[in-house]
Formats: sequence, structure tokens, C-alpha cells
Amino acid sequence: MVESKQQWKAWLYLAPAIVLLLVFTVWPIINTVVMAFMEDYSGLASIGGETSFRIGLGNFTKVAQNADFQSALRNTMLLCLITVPVSTVLALLIAVALHAIKPLQKALQTIFFLPYVTNSIAIGMVFAAMFNVIGSVGTRRPLISSYGIINDVIRFFGGNWVNWINSGSDYWANMFVLIVYIVWNALPFKILILLGGLTSINKQYYEAAKVDSTPRWRVLWRITVPLLSPMLAYVIITGFIAGFKEYTSIVGIYGESMGPVHAPHRLNTMVGLIYDSLASNNQGRASAAALILFGIILVVTLINLWVSKKRVHY
Amino acid sequence: MKVVLQNLTKIFPSRNKKSNEEVVAVNNFNFEIPDGKLIGLLGPSGCGKSTTLYMISGLLKPSSGKIFFGDDDVTELSTENRGIGLVFQNYALYPHMTVKQNIMFPLENLKGADRPSKEQMLERAYEAAKLVQIEQLLDRKPSELSGGQQQRVAIARALVKMPRVLLLDEPLSNLDARLRLQTREEIRRIQKETGITTIFVTHDQEEAMSISDYIVVMKSGLVQQIGAPQEVYDDPANLFVARFLGTPPINVFTGKIKGGKVYLGDQAVLDVGNLPDQEVYVGIRPEGFIVDENGPMICQLQDVEVMGHATSILTTHEASMNPIIRTLKDSDGPNQFKDGVVRYSIKPHKIFLFKHDETEERIRVEVK
Amino acid sequence: MAEQTTRVMQARDMQKTSIQQKIASFLGKAGIYLFLFLMAGIVLFPFYWMINSSLKSLAEYRLSPPTFWPNQVLWTNYADAFTTANLGTLFKNTMIVGIVSTLLSLVITVLSAFAFARLEFKGKELLFAALLATMMIPGELFTITNFATVTNLGWRNTYTVLIVPFLVSVFYIYLLRQNFLQIPNELYLAAKVDGTSDIKYLWKVMVPLALPTLISITILKMMGAWNSYIWPRLVANDEAHRLITNGLRNAFTDTTGDVNYPVQMAAVALVSLPLFLVFVFLRKYIMSGVSRSGIKG
Repeated sequence: MVESKQQWKAWLYLAPAIVLLLVFTVWPIINTVVMAFMEDYSGLASIGGETSFRIGLGNFTKVAQNADFQSALRNTMLLCLITVPVSTVLALLIAVALHAIKPLQKALQTIFFLPYVTNSIAIGMVFAAMFNVIGSVGTRRPLISSYGIINDVIRFFGGNWVNWINSGSDYWANMFVLIVYIVWNALPFKILILLGGLTSINKQYYEAAKVDSTPRWRVLWRITVPLLSPMLAYVIITGFIAGFKEYTSIVGIYGESMGPVHAPHRLNTMVGLIYDSLASNNQGRASAAALILFGIILVVTLINLWVSKKRVHY
Repeated sequence: MKVVLQNLTKIFPSRNKKSNEEVVAVNNFNFEIPDGKLIGLLGPSGCGKSTTLYMISGLLKPSSGKIFFGDDDVTELSTENRGIGLVFQNYALYPHMTVKQNIMFPLENLKGADRPSKEQMLERAYEAAKLVQIEQLLDRKPSELSGGQQQRVAIARALVKMPRVLLLDEPLSNLDARLRLQTREEIRRIQKETGITTIFVTHDQEEAMSISDYIVVMKSGLVQQIGAPQEVYDDPANLFVARFLGTPPINVFTGKIKGGKVYLGDQAVLDVGNLPDQEVYVGIRPEGFIVDENGPMICQLQDVEVMGHATSILTTHEASMNPIIRTLKDSDGPNQFKDGVVRYSIKPHKIFLFKHDETEERIRVEVK
Repeated sequence: MAEQTTRVMQARDMQKTSIQQKIASFLGKAGIYLFLFLMAGIVLFPFYWMINSSLKSLAEYRLSPPTFWPNQVLWTNYADAFTTANLGTLFKNTMIVGIVSTLLSLVITVLSAFAFARLEFKGKELLFAALLATMMIPGELFTITNFATVTNLGWRNTYTVLIVPFLVSVFYIYLLRQNFLQIPNELYLAAKVDGTSDIKYLWKVMVPLALPTLISITILKMMGAWNSYIWPRLVANDEAHRLITNGLRNAFTDTTGDVNYPVQMAAVALVSLPLFLVFVFLRKYIMSGVSRSGIKG
């Protein structure tokens, strides 16, 4: 009796969630896949869009041949391949170091988590300020009034100042700033997860290693890393997924132009490209780009899972 | 390698920050463990036996006192430089390494001239595995082994670097009853074959008695008695030790000495010569009772348990501190008793007298 | 074997005296602390620089080498920032969207999690699995169609468009369901025997028991509203409905060159302050929520 009554009650409780999910999650999945194959379609008749279309792979080919897409793909890949390993290794070292100390552990842990609760746009602006050079940078004989704090530090140690993000700056200088910011932003989550993993490792493994006179680096490499491998796999996979969706960090530092003044869009990413297509009222192409992004994320995740299946000890 | 513990003391600061109560886990432990012997540290949980073991291993620092390996003072030496082998209660086998990798791990940490070549390492790992009879399991992971097999791997890993001292923390507690019996004989055999001074911790008195050369009985951080198992059993220093050793446990009575005789109620059960009159605790081992129609001790029969090789008679007595008195006799002879009454006479060397005060110390009697 | 034992051990004997051993252990610890302090310094530096810069005059900001604390502390930058970026309106909009969407989201999440955790109905497992599967798909894929949907519904530039599309989070439902499942079913059956209604049981028993999770969800949801940028910019970028992050970016479009950085940094500090306060007081909930999620906001 309870069961039959529960049937309709359950659906009643679920109704708001299901309705919203149908409209804003399920329908978009179907619609996006369909739209991706509708060439020259913008969908939004209400704002003067084109609603006639042909079925074909045109959106995909147009996206793939687009020079912007190629540079966006390259930027995204580069950011992923550099920031994920760097932030993972740094987070591992910090987590292990945090785990090894007693006094100040809680305080330091709090400090390391701080970047997590920040607004990526806002702090991106701080990073821009730190790297920004005030003066006529692009000209032949630059007149500089402030080099920015980072350049000041470099100059203090006797180095040459670098045009990081201003007009005329180098692509790799731009990327460097981005990488620093993204790593800084990615650390807290990884440290939190890895530290959580470390505390759940049985202390006796370390005592056993101590009895056997194991040197510190060997404990790290032979015991900690393998025992932490499920968490490492987790932060690497989520790191890659987040990396492929990188967008707001760039907006934070470079503004919506997605690049330094002399080369806008140079630092555009996959997600940025999707929004560009939306803004130019090209739903079909945006859908194709989104599907390509999904495909890449899926493949990378599967590769990650495949590697971790061989390497991860559960 | 002999191991000397000198005034060894461990005080843990109170966990509660507000109160300043300290916990004295081990209090002034003195013992010289002879070379090549098997020592059982025995006591109820919280008695300080594991703390003692961990201090010998160096994983815990003593609050005061000294530890010597041979003539070397190792008190200040950290664990990794002590050259000990330690088998943890739940083995602490590295789950991601195979048995072979686990056993070889300590060897790979050796440096300089001590470091064997790869072949030597393999050979020594194989030797150690053979010693504990797991040489056919070398390529398995710990999760694919039974508890007993994991135990052996842990022992092999502790032995492979040829430690000066082997320490075992509750080595049998995670095994089922049958394996426990088998494994403890195994530990005895391995210890004899290698001749390594071995110290193990247990709360199971039978386990400690059966394989140790010496047992150390501890209670609340204090050593109660040290000696060969049979010695301690036959000559307990106090009521605690008497109660802790032996299955079935000793029967304890409140009695008194009056005019050179020990009385349980109004029954005089033992002559004690010229001991002064006083209240005492009286402990009688289950095997110390002889069914005797003319015996001085009169008990009310409750039940008879037949075990095959022996018979256990359950009775009550007004002076008994336990609800039931359990006595053992061999299975020969009658098991029938008239009127629900059993009369016993007592073997004088199986009865112990203890002071009726906080110390509960033994009162020695000249047995004629 | 016994013979070998003593030989090997004597060779190794006392290789390290206790003093050497103490020095090594001290150096090791010192190295660890040094590394941690260095990294902590790097992590904290942008915050320090933000506050330092926000209190300087423009002339002092342009000094090279820079001053590491303002010669003259200029609080007026904060007032300027507040008016320049129209932060009052932005705060108000963001709070309205944040609070309303959090409350509605909590109700929906609690009801759904309860249904999945405690009620029996046909297709429960299948539906739940389907929900979890949607978590794998990147949000950008939904955004395209949702953009069209809300445009066609005429929701552009309203609070509704900022609240409704993201009310349901499959992840929060999952999190709460797991929490609900830990509450013994006997409690529910006992409540049924006593004639307690479902809603009353939910409110009196399950919600209090799952409170830590609900608080985590609330904080993450509020932080999400505070930090959301992409969707609000797409669909509600008018003065009346603009949210804080977007407003900040709009008010200071230039990031490079000779910008009035002190005021800009003051604005950034003002936007960061509420997050910082939430972090200081509710760190426990954020960290426990995050360690189970890995989703920012």
C-alpha cells in the first residue's frame, strides 16, 4: 500500500527538478547535436536570424578550417599540457610538506586554500596589474614610468624587464602570465584533495618505511605517490576538464578582447570561440564547436582513465 | 644481541588541554633481555606493552630511561638507524607492491657497501620467503593473500635485512583460531632458526606462555613479573598475575588466616605454619582441586562439563569471589556426586595467598 | 643467517651519531617550512598587492621602484571605486539573484534527494543514472540552446533568466541523496507509524541531520552567483540586472597601459571582501563541500 502511494508522491517531489532538467539540460543536448548538423542556421528568428538550413557537416568543416579555431585549440591544448602537470606536482609537494608538519599546519592549510574562494575576473585584474608596464612600451625608445612589481623584482635581481602583457608583447610572455595565474588558481583544490588523501593513508606504512631506513624521497616516490594515485588521477582528470574549459582567467587578465592590445583574440580558447559564435548569432557553428570540445574532453578523459587503470592502485 | 631496558619510562601528555592529567604508559621498566631469546610482553590492553615495543623500535621516544642494544646506547638513535625489524599488528604491507617487492624493499634502502647487488637482493628475498614458506607467492599482491600468508610476508620483510632485534606487535591477533595455533609455532621455529632476539606483544596469555622463553607481565605501565612462563605460572608475584595467567582462570576466594590455618568460610583448607592472623585473598588453580570424599572444602555442585580429555566441575562456595568455581580433573573416575555436594582437598603448591590490600601481593608460604 | 646478522649490523653500527641525526632531522624540517613559507608567500602576494595598490595615489602607484606600503593611505579610492563601478546596484542585483536562486535550489534539491533516497518508484535507478550521466557533459553545450530558449521566451534582461536555468544541480542532488541515505530508514518508518507527514519528517528529521551538507550547498551556490560571469554577460547585460563580476569587468575594460589601477584595485578588493569574509567564517563547510565536488561555484 505504501508503495503505490509512494509512486505518485515521488514523481510529485521530483517534478520541479525534472521539468527544469528537461527544458535546460535534456533539450539542449538533443538540440545542440541537431543544430550542429544544420548549416547556415542561427535559430533566433526573433532577433533577425536565419532559420532556413541544409543538413550537412558544413558547420564542423567550417569550424575546423577556421584559423581562429586552430589557434584556440592550440592555446587550450598548451594551457592544459603545461598547467595540469605543473599544478599537480606543486600541489603534491605542498600537500606532502603540509602533511609532514605539525605547528602552523592549520594556518598554512588555510592560506593555501584562499585562492579557491576568489573571483577569477577580479584576481585576474590583480595579476594584470602586477605584470603591467606603464609608459610607452611599443615604441622604439620606450619611456617607462613603472615596470610593474614583477619586472621590478626581476630588475632587482639584475635581469631585464619583460613586456608581459602590454602592446607589442610576445605570445609566450602572454602565455607565461596565464600559466602562472591558472596554476595559482588551480592549486587550492588539488592541495585539498591530495591532503585529504594523505591523511587517509595508514600511518603504519610510514612507520614500516622508517623501520626499513627508507630515505625521504624514496618514501615519496615508492609509497606516497602510489598510495595517493586514485586522488592524483582524480585531480589530473578534473584538471584537464577544467583546462579545456579555460576562459574566465583570460578575460580577467586580458579583458574580453582575449589578447594584448596589438593582437586581440590571440589567446582565445575553445570556450571563448563558442561564445564568439553565439555572439555573432551563429548557433549551428557554436553547436559544432561545443560538440568538438565535448569530443576532445571525452577522448582526453578516456585516455586518462586508461592510463590510470594501468597505473592507479586502488 | 641482548637488549637492555634501563628505567624506561613513557609519559603521554594529557589529550585534554584543560586538565593536566598525564598518562604514565610505561613506568620505570628494567629488564635485560638475553641474546637470542623470544620474549613475550603480556598484559591487558592499555598496560603499556605496545608502548614499550614502540620505544624499543624508536618510533616512540622514552620520556626517561635508556635502551641498549648489546653495549650500544640506542636511546637517542632514530628508528631508521637502529637496524630492527618490526611486524605490525595489521602487517602494513605496501598494497601496491607484490610480495617480492615488499620483501625486497628494506634491502633497496641500504646504502654504500651494505647495499647488495640486484641478484643478491633477489636471492635474499627468496631465502626469507622460503624461511616463512611463501616462496610460491612472490608475485602476488598482498590483497590476494590470506591473513596468515600476509603475516608471513610481513615477517619475511622484517627478517630480510637481518635485523639486530625483531619486534612483533600482536602478531597473531588478526588470525583465526586455527591459524593462530599454527603461526605461533611457526614464529617459534623461525626465531630458533635465525637466533634473532625477538620481542613480541600480546594480550593472549596462552599465546605468550606457549612460545616465549620469558614473559613479562604488565599492568597499567608497571611490570608485574618477569620470568619463564612456567615459573610465573607456578609462582605468581601478585593476584593480578595469578589471575591473568591460566585458562580456565584461577579461582579466587576471600579467606583468612587464623592460628596458622587458612580458612575459606569455616573450612580450614591449608596449613600455613606461623603466619600472623589476617584477611587474605586465596587463589586456587583449577587443577589444584582433588575430589576427595573427606576433603575439607565443601562446595555446591552446579554442573559438570565433559571435555573428553578432562572434566570440568562447576560449583559454588560462599567465600568465592567469582560466581562459579571451575575445577579440572582428568576424565577418569566418577562424575556422579551425592546430594549436590562436592568435597575437595587442595594441592598445596596450587594454592596462593595474597595480601588483602591494594598491593594484592603474594604471601609466601613454606610448603611442607 | 644469525652470523651474517651481527656482521652487517656492526658495519652499520653507529654510522650516524645521534647529533648528526638530529641535525639532519632539523635541516629536513627547516627545509619543509622554508618551502611552505615561500609558496604561501607566492599564494598571498596578489592579495597583498591588491590592498597595497588600492590605497595608493595614482602618482605613488606609478613610482618605480614601488613602495611596499602607501606613503599616504588613500581611502577615497574605495569611495571612487564604489561610484565608478556602480557597485551598489551590482551588489543588490547579485544578492537578489543569489538569495532567490539558493532558496529555490535548496527546496528542489531537498525534495528530489528525498525522493531518490527514501521513496520507491518505478524507474528510480534508471532516472538517477540518467541524471548522473548529464554531469559528464560540459556546460557550454547547454548554454547555446539555453541562450536560444531564454531569448524565445523573452526572458532576456530579467532576474528570471539569471535564476531559473541553473536551479537544478544534479551534483547537489547526488550529494544530498548520499547524505540522506546514511540516515537509517527505520526513522522514516517510525515516523510513518506515528502518522507524521513526509514534509514534516523531511523538515524535522532529515533536514537537521543533513544540515552541514545543506550549508555547504548554500555557500557554494551563493559563491556561484557572486562569481558567475559568462551566462549573465550573455543574457542580462543591462544596467538594471547586471551582476557583480560582469559589472566589475565592464567598469574597467582596460587592463593594460596607464590605467587608474588604485581605483581598479579598490573595486577588486571590494568585490573580493565578501568572499573573504565567507571564507574566514565558513571555511569548514566550503572545504568539506569542495573536497566532495571539485566544482567551482
